[in-house]
This record gives sequence, structure tokens and C-alpha cells, in this order.
Amino acid sequence: MDLASHQRILLGLMRSSYQPGTGDAPYYHRVAGSPDLQEARGNVLLWRVYVLERTCVLTVELLRQADLLEEALLDFIRQKNISPFREYQPLAFLDFLGGHDDPLVVSVSQFELALMKVREGDPCRYMVDWSYDPTPILQALAQREPLPDRADPELHRTEIAGELPYLFEIKRLARDSANDRSKFQTALTRGSRYKSTGATSQ
Amino acid sequence: MNSAANLPAPVPRPRLGVGVSYEGRDPALLDMMLPHVDVIEVTPETMSVADGDRISLDKDILAELKNIDREKSIVVHGVSLSIGSHDGWSPTYLHLLDELMDQVRVRWHSEHLGYTRVDGEHLGIMLAMPRTEQAAELVAQRAWCLQQRYGLPFLLENIVHVVPDCPADYSDAGFLNAVARDSGCGLILDVYNLECDEHNHALDIQAFLAELDGSHVKELHVACGVKHNGLMLDVHSRLPRPCTMDLAQQVLRDIATEAEVIVYEFMPEAVPGLGNVAIANTLQQMRQREWR
Repeated sequence: MDLASHQRILLGLMRSSYQPGTGDAPYYHRVAGSPDLQEARGNVLLWRVYVLERTCVLTVELLRQADLLEEALLDFIRQKNISPFREYQPLAFLDFLGGHDDPLVVSVSQFELALMKVREGDPCRYMVDWSYDPTPILQALAQREPLPDRADPELHRTEIAGELPYLFEIKRLARDSANDRSKFQTALTRGSRYKSTGATSQ
Repeated sequence: MNSAANLPAPVPRPRLGVGVSYEGRDPALLDMMLPHVDVIEVTPETMSVADGDRISLDKDILAELKNIDREKSIVVHGVSLSIGSHDGWSPTYLHLLDELMDQVRVRWHSEHLGYTRVDGEHLGIMLAMPRTEQAAELVAQRAWCLQQRYGLPFLLENIVHVVPDCPADYSDAGFLNAVARDSGCGLILDVYNLECDEHNHALDIQAFLAELDGSHVKELHVACGVKHNGLMLDVHSRLPRPCTMDLAQQVLRDIATEAEVIVYEFMPEAVPGLGNVAIANTLQQMRQREWR
């Protein structure tokens, strides 16, 4: 048995991307049908959750409440070859969620991503738009309480920057302002480059 | 008839040091542990920070280690070198190791006898090597290179078997013996991993120990995890069980008679649940125990 082939088959089995065929040794059929492999796959997921629930507190709580955590993580593992280094996973996971179907997941994840970056000294100013007032949403997530019933849509914007007293501020937007979002993507103000994450929860 | 006067004098055995894993950023815990230990085990990956695409060691943690590296021995225990990957080891890990070796006095360094990447793709978990001639040769060659590169002893640890064993050229102990013999590296024997393999895959621990060449074993690990779906998981979240300590004692008395250190490993995330006092008490008991 060649080492490279062996390791490639086990990688495929771990990722559920390979099904042993008639040409494969009986050993790989045995592994494919073993409870150990199921447990190992579960452990990969658990290790990711273990890191992410301690680093992406708001986003993981939202995904849990919406019963979307496992699906989002499996998509992340399938699509992104992210190092298990703890320092890489949170940023990559939050960035990945910028493309999620649920606009609230996009807003919360991009807000948390921006917050993480400015805490580490990133000089940029980030903007994340919300369809609802983020204050009660963020409070509930931070305290691991159920999300409040959503009120009528009300456009808000969070600005996140290291120079702000609490690293972010929340502004209510007039509809016209929300429609002007794209201008922030390239605007320069006071020498600092504004960045928009492009996140708008609808 | 032999009398005590005619018996050869017992060969003095090296004093057994007590060690503990520490990932930095918890000075209160460190203060409570230091009086009871001789060795601090650090893992470069868990003391690193991302700086854009680059990853480097946290300067605050480096400062903590520099403060204690004259008073205590520092040993490095990596998790992501992936020494057994067919396509090469992780350059990122070696970059971190270079940085650490440049700044902190290190007694020896070690890795797990397994792999975490295949063709650059992350497994997300560590898998044990197939115990073949090809695998033994590849790992032995790399272990030899690591000793040349740093001029320090290098040790390899037995890891838990996550999936069933494949047909092999060596037994578990025979594979460790061959890699150590052919590379000149030492071994870490993780006795909790042996217990996991016994529970999950019916490893015969006593047969394993009878075959293992204990002269290669420089370090022992004790730890405790949880059971999930009937399988014992190597997650280092609990205080070691008495049976684990007893097995470690048997190994130290009968097999690894030259081992220099026994290390208690736990994850920092487990500290709030374990409590600083319980951790310190465990280390104190390890210090006071007559291991040999």
C-alpha cells in the first residue's frame, strides 16, 4: 500500500468525498462503514465549534438559535481549506458567512468580523447595514438570550473603527442614505480609507 | 546465599521532573502551577497570532516564557508539523518553531507521530500513520533532519487511533521502536492515549508495553478527556483518573526507567471548569508521588 494513496483515500473518507469502490482494499470499505469514521467526522465539526464559539460569540449564537450552525460549518469545511490554527479560523469563518443566504447572519457576522479586525489594530473604518435596529439583537446574542421579536424594518448602519469610544456606533438611516451605500466603498475621509463590507440585511 | 552486601549497587535513575502544559495569557494560573513543576510544555500553534497572511508568536507570551526559562525547563510540543504527510511537513509550523527557538531556551521539542494534512488539504484532525516500512522510513528521516536542524533532542508521541487500524508491517510498539532506533529520536508515551486505544480499539496495553523499547522514552503524558457515543476522546478536559496515574507509574517503574519528565496536559478552555486550585493540587500530588 502506497502512503500517498492511503492518505488521499482517508482524506476523502473524512470529507465524505470518496466512496471506496471494487478496486479498493477491504480495509477502506471497513473504515467507510465504521462508527469510528462517523465519530471522527463529528469530532472535526466539534473542534471547529469549540474554537468558533469562543471567538465568534455573536455569530455562533445566532446560528445556533436559527439552527443553522451545523449546516454553515459543514459548508465552510467543504468549501474552505482552512488551517486548524485557532488564529485563522474565526476570521475565515466570518468572512465566509458574508455570502450567507440569511441577511441577518450576514450583518451579524460582518459586524463581528469588523470588530475583531479593529480590536487587532486594523486602522480601517467598516460599515455594516442592518434592516432592523441592531441594538436589541446584539444585546440578546451577547447574553445568549432568544432574539427579540422583530419589529418593523428600520434601516440602521453600524460603523466600526478603532477610534470610536466603544469601537462601534449605531446610526439609524434614512432610506436615501441606505441607497447610497456604495459610495462608502471607495470614499476617503480624514485620510482613513472607509471600507464597506457590503453587508446589508434586508 | 546472597546477602545485601553482595548485591550490586542499584543503578541511580534520573530524577523524575513534573511538567504541565501552558498556553500563556493566564499569569494567575502560572503562578499557582510554578511551585509544583520543573517543566513547562508549550505549543507554538496555540501561542500564535495572525498578522494578515503571516502567523507569528504572541510577543506577550514570549515575554512570559523568557521570564521563566532560567528557572524552569521549557519543552516544545507541536501539533501541526504533520511529520507523516506523504507530501512534506508544514513550513508554517517550522517558521513558528524557528521563532520560538531563537528567543526562548528550550530543553527539547516534540511532535505527534501522525499527520494533519494531505496534499496541502487540512484533515481537521490528526490521523495515525499506517505502520508500514515506507511510513517508518519517511518519519525516521524527517525526525533525523529535525534533530540536525535544531541541535536539540526531538521526541515523537504515540497518538490515538481515530479510525480502525490498517494492515501493517509493524505492531504499535514495533513501529515506535523502529522510528526511534532509525532516527535517534526519543519518544513520548501518552498513557491516556493508550487507554483510549484500549477502550476504542482493544489495544492490549500490557503486550504493547512488553514490546516497547523503554530506553527511548524520555517523557510521559497524562490527561483525561470525555466519552462520546461510547468512544473515549482525547480532548484533555479533565483531571487525570487514578487508573491513568497508576498506569503511568507502572510504565515509569518497569519500562521507561530513563524517562525524565511526566507532564499533565489540559486545554486552557478547560481551566474554568477544572479550577486553578484543582490543577495545582494535581501537580503537587504528582510531585509528591513515589513514581519509581
